Amino acid sequence: MATTEELRDDVHEADEAAEHEEEESDESNGKSKKELPATAQPKVFERKPGAGLRNILTITRREFKAYFDSIVAYVVVCLTLLIVGVWFFFFGFWQVDRASVSRLFDGVGSLPILLSFLVLPLLTMRALAEEKRSGTIELLITMPVKDSEVILGKFFAALGLTAVLLLCTLIYPIAMFMWPWHMGPLDWGPVTTSYLGLLLMGGAGIAVGMMFSSFTENQIVAFFITAAVLALLWFIGSIVEFVHGPVGDAISFVSFQTRFVPFSRGLIDTRAVIYFLSITIICLLAAFRSLESRKWS
Amino acid sequence: MSTDVMIYANDLTKNFGSFRAVDKINFEVRRGEVVGFLGPNGAGKSTTMRILTCFISPTGGTAKINGFDVFDDPLAVRESLGYLPQRAPLYLEMSVYEYLKFAADLRQLDDATFRKRARSVVEVCGLAQVLGKEIRHLSHGYRQRVGLGQALIHDPPILILDEPTSDLDPNEKAEFLDYIKQIGQERTVLLSTHNLSEVEIACARAIIVSKGRVVADGPLDEIRAKSGRVRYVVSVQESAGSTPYRGQGQPPKQAEVEAALGKINGVKKITELPTDERAHTYELSTDEGVDLRAELFQLIVQKGWVLLELHRDAQTLEDVFRHLTIGDARRNRTLDAGADEDEDEDEDEETEEETEESDDDSDAKDKD
Repeated sequence: MATTEELRDDVHEADEAAEHEEEESDESNGKSKKELPATAQPKVFERKPGAGLRNILTITRREFKAYFDSIVAYVVVCLTLLIVGVWFFFFGFWQVDRASVSRLFDGVGSLPILLSFLVLPLLTMRALAEEKRSGTIELLITMPVKDSEVILGKFFAALGLTAVLLLCTLIYPIAMFMWPWHMGPLDWGPVTTSYLGLLLMGGAGIAVGMMFSSFTENQIVAFFITAAVLALLWFIGSIVEFVHGPVGDAISFVSFQTRFVPFSRGLIDTRAVIYFLSITIICLLAAFRSLESRKWS
Repeated sequence: MSTDVMIYANDLTKNFGSFRAVDKINFEVRRGEVVGFLGPNGAGKSTTMRILTCFISPTGGTAKINGFDVFDDPLAVRESLGYLPQRAPLYLEMSVYEYLKFAADLRQLDDATFRKRARSVVEVCGLAQVLGKEIRHLSHGYRQRVGLGQALIHDPPILILDEPTSDLDPNEKAEFLDYIKQIGQERTVLLSTHNLSEVEIACARAIIVSKGRVVADGPLDEIRAKSGRVRYVVSVQESAGSTPYRGQGQPPKQAEVEAALGKINGVKKITELPTDERAHTYELSTDEGVDLRAELFQLIVQKGWVLLELHRDAQTLEDVFRHLTIGDARRNRTLDAGADEDEDEDEDEETEEETEESDDDSDAKDKD
């Protein structure tokens, strides 16, 4: 019989651990406090620990649900599955004549191009433009949230929906190679890296879209500019073959296409990972600054 | 600065480009005060409120909410207040319950507290019937109630409400103002409006702003007394039509009445108000503290005239408001602003009244 004493000990230990954690978080707060000038006010404000993360999560949840409350999510998912499906079966799969799903990641109707042209601009156009137009941003910002939490919350919501969409497209390889059909052994390595690449590229694209959405109050403008820029970043990769020297190098450096191709071949290129992450961070920072600029206009 | 000062604005200034929307505003609001923030459209009310809620930053000056500086501690400021922006901009695709939950989550309320608070908020704001409805299907009045609900959900010590009653019907307004009065006893409420009767119901104190400046700040009685004039309206029958005149002898002539009234001690000014041919109506103005009603009655009895109407009123808040902010309306009507802005401000208030309504509309557009 586990005695009550033992139980009590357990509880005690847990308490101690909790206390320890609190101390730690206090310490981290203390650091930021010290940076304040010595003329601090009598009252010192401390946020509940973890409030920032919870806020991001709350905003992400709301935004994610908003995608499904409006028709955006359904339109995006259905349209993508339809186009990719048509492309994959009628123009890709049977022509390649191999046990491969590489057509999902390559060509006119493939996932990266659909993401650039349609999905990411659609998912991000409303993000900040619509909030600014309708004034809801005022209520959101005047809640005890940081601007950065708003941006991140919206970013993760869009990224989440992109992930859901990508998961949905997994039915093609699964249907062809696992169940109900078995067209042969599929090499899952390149498929996995391709999806990883898509997610990274998606993140960068979402950040670009949010940046443009934060620059305007018109979601249509945000949509077209984002689509144009993402398409450009993809397609300039196609002319790399014809351009040599430093210009060609520069193009292949910025192009999403040249960055993505290694992923589709089963290669995780760290330079590409860092490139996509940098684009994400830079654009999110720009969106953050733009949101903050309302204060000074 | 005592700890009781919940809202503190010192030389608050905000420029939009070359336009100065708020010009060195100073005021303090203490705990337990309900303050009406008044002013014509475009006077800087909303801008001030946005600064206080840390939505925008001031160009100059300082503001403190609950002892926290809006510049240094925006999160602390936002945590201590509930804010309802103009026209209650809510997420339309959410249901009322979802919205309240969302607001509560962002304010870090735990589930138990949320349930408790939500119950009282729903009751106070009358949201029980619409709790499950999407906000997009609600009327503007209900949206405003939801907006109010989210501002109250965390039981904040300070409420900043930007035209909270603009979309409510008269019953709702009365209810709402009652409620504000009630919660104002231990909280601090700053509410902006241009409906003066609301201020008279709910607030003990008003701050009137015009052209980005505070032009009056104090208890309502004090503000009312500012111009210090009392007005009498006297109406004397002139002709009885076909029925016999009930007074002594012949009905009086206009000049006769005017002269007699003008001779009464203390009358500063006498003006005839437009009436039909059966009566003369005069407006007399005097200084405050003199009551002429008895003398007026005596005079009329003595002359044997028929008195149709006699009443006295202190200047209303509305008059004071118009008097204080008249430059605003004038500036908006003339293209070359500022040229003759300050001329004869006190006169011809009649024409002001007539154009006030249409003016308000164009003002609103200007501001947007």
